[in-house]
Amino acid sequence: MREGGAQQGERRFALLLTAPGILVLFVTTTFPLAYLVYSSFQTINLAMPFLDGFAGFDNYVQMWGDPRFWHALGLTGIYTVSSVTMQVVIGLGLALMVMQIPAGQWIFRIVAILPIVLAPVVVGLFWRTLMLAPNFGMVDFLVQWLGFEQINWLGSPIPALVSVIIIHTWQWTPFAFLVFLASLAALPGDVYEAARIDKANALQRFWHITLPLIRPAVVIVIIMRAMISLHAFAAIFAATGGGPGTASEILNLYAFKTSFVELNFGYGSALAVALLIITMAVSAILFYVRTPRRREAAA
Amino acid sequence: MNPYRSAATRRNVILMTVAGLLLLVWVFPLIWAVIVSLKSERDVLAYPPTLFFDPVGRNYADALFGGFSILDSLATSAIVSVSTTVLTIVLAVPAAYAFARLRLPAKRSLGFYTLATQMVPPVGLVIPYFLILNRFSMLDTYTGMIVVYLTFSLPFAIWLMVSYMEDIPREMEEAAFLDKASRIKTLWHVIIPQVRGGIAVTVIFVFLNAWNEFLFAVQLGGNNVRPVTVAMYNFVSVEQTLWAKLSAAALVAMLPVVIIGIAAQKQIVKGLTVGAVKGGGRR
Repeated sequence: MREGGAQQGERRFALLLTAPGILVLFVTTTFPLAYLVYSSFQTINLAMPFLDGFAGFDNYVQMWGDPRFWHALGLTGIYTVSSVTMQVVIGLGLALMVMQIPAGQWIFRIVAILPIVLAPVVVGLFWRTLMLAPNFGMVDFLVQWLGFEQINWLGSPIPALVSVIIIHTWQWTPFAFLVFLASLAALPGDVYEAARIDKANALQRFWHITLPLIRPAVVIVIIMRAMISLHAFAAIFAATGGGPGTASEILNLYAFKTSFVELNFGYGSALAVALLIITMAVSAILFYVRTPRRREAAA
Repeated sequence: MNPYRSAATRRNVILMTVAGLLLLVWVFPLIWAVIVSLKSERDVLAYPPTLFFDPVGRNYADALFGGFSILDSLATSAIVSVSTTVLTIVLAVPAAYAFARLRLPAKRSLGFYTLATQMVPPVGLVIPYFLILNRFSMLDTYTGMIVVYLTFSLPFAIWLMVSYMEDIPREMEEAAFLDKASRIKTLWHVIIPQVRGGIAVTVIFVFLNAWNEFLFAVQLGGNNVRPVTVAMYNFVSVEQTLWAKLSAAALVAMLPVVIIGIAAQKQIVKGLTVGAVKGGGRR
C-alpha cells in the first residue's frame, strides 16, 4: 500500500516537472506546425489578399507539376549527400592522421572548434567576400596564380552549387573530426597490439578493427549532419541567396523565397510541409539502418 | 642509423605536413579576416592581395561607433540569447530529471515527441510564426523572438540534459529518499549539484545556437529587434565594397562565441560526443 502511494506520488511529481517543458514545446512547435499544414491547404498571398481562401490540394497539385520544386529537391539531395560524405571522409581521415601525431594535438582541437562556433551567416559572408569574390578573394587569387582561368564562383551555376557545398563542408567537417577524434581516443589499445602481432597492415587494421569499433559514431554523425544539411539556410542565403537564378536553391530556400519574397504563403507552406515529410522519411530510414546493427552487436 | 627510425621520422614529417596543410584550410579564412579588418580600404582593394601594409584600427572604431554601429545589435543578441538560455534551462532541467530518473507516465511517447520536435525544419516554423506573430502584432518584439528561439533550444536542451542525468549514480537519490527529504529538495540539493557540468555544457550550446541564429531573426525581427547576425547580413547589402569594415564588424560580432568556443573547448567536444552517442543536436 505505502509503496504504491509513493509510486503514485513519484508519478505525480514527475508529471509536474515535465508538464511545463512539454506544454511549452507543444505550444511553440506543434501548434505552429499544425498551422503550417492548415495554411498549405489555403491560398494565402499577401500580394493578392483578395484571392485568399480554402484551396484544397491546389498547392500540392501545383507542386507536383512545378519543375522548380523538382529542381530544388534534386539540389537538396546533391547538397546533402555530397556535403555529408565529404564531412565524414575528410573528418575521419584527419582524425586518423591527428591520432598518429605525437605532439600538438591540442592545436587541432582548438582550430576545429572555431568554424563550429561561428554563425553560418558569417561563414557565408566571409566566403562570399574574403575567399570567393572576383579580383579580391583568396581562392580567386590562388586559382589565377596557379595559372587557371578565373572562375566566377558565386555568379555561374555549377561553381555556385560547388561553392555552397564546399562552404558547408568547411564549416562542419571539424564537427565530424572532433567526434571521431574522441571515439578513436576512447578505443582500447590492446586490440591493436594483437593485430600488430598478427602482422595486419595499416589498411587491414583500419578496415577490420577501427571502422567496426567506431561505426556507431560514424552512423550518428551521418544522421546528425544529414538533418542539418537538409535544413541548411543561412550560409547559402548569405553566399548566393540560392542563385544565380535557382542554381543553388535547395528546397529550404525555395520554401523561404516563395513565402517571403513572392509572399505566396500558401504555396510556401506546402513546400515546407514537403521538406518536413522528406526530413522525417530520411531520419526514419537512417534510424532504421542504425537499429538492427545495434541488435547484432548486442547478440 | 636505424632504418626503422628514419622511416618513422619521414612518416611523421609527411603526416605533420598533410595535417598542417588541412589545418591551414580551416584557420586561413579567419586569419585572413583579421588581416583584412586591419587594412585601410585602399589596401583592401589591392590585387594581388598584400601581406604588408600599415595596420589601422579605424574599421573597428567604425564598426562599434560609426554610422553602421553594431552596438545596438550586440545588445539585442545578448538580451535574446541570455533570456532564451535562462528560460530553456529552467524548463529543461526538471523535465530531463523526470525523463531520466522518475516513473513518468507515457515516458516513451513523451520522449519520442521531444525528439521529433527537433526534426522540424526551421523554415516550416518561420512561415506559420510570421503569420501568427503578424496577426498579434508581435513581429519585431523580444517576446516573440524568445518564444520562437525556444522551439530549437528546448528539445535539444532536454535531450542533452537527460544524458547527463542518466550518469548520476542511483544510490545518491535513494539515500536522500530514505532521509525523507522532500522530492524538490532532492532535486535542488542532490541532483542539480551533480549535473552542474552538464548544465554548463547545455548553457554553452543553447547560448551559441541562439547567438548564431539567422533565419528567424531576419524574418521575425526588424528595426527594434535586430540580432547581430542580421546586422552582418545587412552590412553587405548596404555597403557593398567596404569589406574591411565588414570583416571588423563580423569579428567583433563573433568574438563572444569564439571566446566561449576556445575557453570551453573541452566541454563543447564532450557535448558533441554526448549528443553523438544519444542522438541529439541541432543548428
